[in-house]
Amino acid sequence: MTDISPEMWAKVPAGEKAAPIPPPAPTYGQEVRRRLWANKPAVVSIVFIVLLVIAAFFGPYLSPHTYFKQDLKLANIPPFFETYAVTDGAGETTRFFLNASNFNLYEVDAEGNMLGLLRGGRKDMIKKSQPYEFGDQTLTLDYSKLPVRLLLEDGSEVRPSGWSWNRTYLFGTDQLGRDILVRQLYGAQISLTVAFVATLVNFFIGVFYGGIAGYMGGKVDAVMMRFVEIISTIPLTLYVVLLMVVFDSGLLSIIVAIGSVFWVDMARIVRGQILSLKSQDYVAAARTMGASPARILTRHLLPNSIGPIIVTLTMLIPSAIFIESFMSFIGLGVTPPLASWGSLTSEAVETLRAYPHQLFFPAAAISLTMFAFNFLGDGLRDALDPRVGR
Amino acid sequence: MFTYILNRLGMMLVTLWAIVTLTFFLMHAVPGGPFVSERMLAPEIAAALNAKYGLNLPIWQQYLNYLGRILTFDLGPSFKYPGVSINSMIAAGLPVTLQTGLLAVICVVALGVPLGVIAALNRNRWPDTTVMFIATLGVAIPSYVIATVSIYVFALRLGWVPTFGLDDWRGYFLPVFALSGFWISFVSRLTRSSLLETLEQDYMVTARAKGLRKGQILFKHGLRNSLLPVVTVLGPVVANLITGSFVIEQIFALPGIGRQFVLSITNRDYTAIMGITIFYAAILMVMILIVDLLYVWLDPRIKLTKAAA
Repeated sequence: MTDISPEMWAKVPAGEKAAPIPPPAPTYGQEVRRRLWANKPAVVSIVFIVLLVIAAFFGPYLSPHTYFKQDLKLANIPPFFETYAVTDGAGETTRFFLNASNFNLYEVDAEGNMLGLLRGGRKDMIKKSQPYEFGDQTLTLDYSKLPVRLLLEDGSEVRPSGWSWNRTYLFGTDQLGRDILVRQLYGAQISLTVAFVATLVNFFIGVFYGGIAGYMGGKVDAVMMRFVEIISTIPLTLYVVLLMVVFDSGLLSIIVAIGSVFWVDMARIVRGQILSLKSQDYVAAARTMGASPARILTRHLLPNSIGPIIVTLTMLIPSAIFIESFMSFIGLGVTPPLASWGSLTSEAVETLRAYPHQLFFPAAAISLTMFAFNFLGDGLRDALDPRVGR
Repeated sequence: MFTYILNRLGMMLVTLWAIVTLTFFLMHAVPGGPFVSERMLAPEIAAALNAKYGLNLPIWQQYLNYLGRILTFDLGPSFKYPGVSINSMIAAGLPVTLQTGLLAVICVVALGVPLGVIAALNRNRWPDTTVMFIATLGVAIPSYVIATVSIYVFALRLGWVPTFGLDDWRGYFLPVFALSGFWISFVSRLTRSSLLETLEQDYMVTARAKGLRKGQILFKHGLRNSLLPVVTVLGPVVANLITGSFVIEQIFALPGIGRQFVLSITNRDYTAIMGITIFYAAILMVMILIVDLLYVWLDPRIKLTKAAA
């Protein structure tokens, strides 16, 4: 123990306070982080995006299903269903559920695992009914009028015994019997890959173009910006469509198409930033010290305009996701059996009347992702530059 | 004013030329000719077809011919449907696209602006949070999701409206709703933030201090100034409503230009793709010009000569 002299223990007279120690001033980065963490929707969005990326890139390996394996016998299975149970004379119980949209019976076990399609007897085309035999019991599926009914031999109706989740296909299957959950995850993988890579391409082109235009100024700037102006009057969606027609659909061509078209906003923003920053003293100082324009741009100007660049980037990602899904929706995106959220939605539209659950998952996934990126973009904008927005 | 319009028209022509050139060479960069995917043609027939459509000429001559035809507003024949010209395709689809598009623009202005005003005037109270919540939904959900989900809910489940087609006046509801949903949300958010900013200006305080009536302050001083950014986005809004229509027309089976465009893409009907692209671009540029002129008329502070220079 160190020795503390007794007078140190003496009370400080009232009214005399020790000088407060000022905390170190938070750096810009700390401030941004604090403001971002205080923004609840943005934090939830970050968590959502991280989980989505993990699920999209690792999830498919955990599943026993693949995105391309078809099983027509188990097509259009819903994610949850009402199970029926029939016990025959020997005491053996068969559990199954009825897919009311295609009049098929599927055998399931007590936990909800799919065992297979039940084979019925000959269909009676006139009475619109089909017998199913369970040991000595015979059930008749009557689909002459909706809703479909299951009748015992004595004419009484069989009631379902309860709801059950589909354990084999958690999200059900599509019209070719492929597992929707896995296709959904692959779709996420493709949509996210396209969005990130295309955004990165846009980022490089935009920063390069805008940086040069802004730094050079004068005639170079005028010509380059006139070119940007012409490009921005062209409806960009049309150009992505044209490029997709030329390149033929596929993952790489959609990345190239989106990446080569949407850099205009980025170029504008970078140029504006650089124009306003280049008259700063530190730039003049760097120049007098003999720094090359490339060095000044990469070391001084771009790092200082990083805020708006990041905000534009986060805003570009949802629009890239949107354009990709839009292209896939009209049939110009990824080629089947690959899936993306857009192609999943357009496939689901074909069977919308009978199997609306197939639409629900891709629609919800893309909407939630767009939300997350929008909220994150808003949050970043508020955090990086508290003056704008709100 | 006159020189400004001339200047803008000149710019438009340059842009249009760039678009025509780009589309022309893009479409000619597609591997294989337009008749390759057909069943095998006898070489004489293929030669005759190529001669008929001028495809045996060198590419620069084809390009000049195409430019010449565009100058006389002739977009050429369709490669897929013999005897059908692109002009007649567009003429058939235009009324439908214009109807739905204009209805959507009206919805955007008639719903987006008032919603934004309501939100701004009730800042941080329930009308504001409700409007902003819905607007956030509307901005994030893609139009084709809105379209398909609303078909399921309103047409299949509730049966209030037909699932497709425009035979019935109720058939307009869903396409117009799906088309304008994003922009209603966008415009209401924009109106809200712009009006909030305007409300804090000194001249608003002055107007209140002069004892003007509330309505007068809001409409004459507040709205007129805060609507300027809204007018600025109207150009892109119109543009997007027209180009965005091709998915919507596809989903609702509306016989408009957008559906024609998607059909041409799936048919690989290259002249039709080119023609419709150029037509779209021309329409959009005219719309943007009109909106810009409107903007100048609304805000006399903007100097035309300066903008033109």
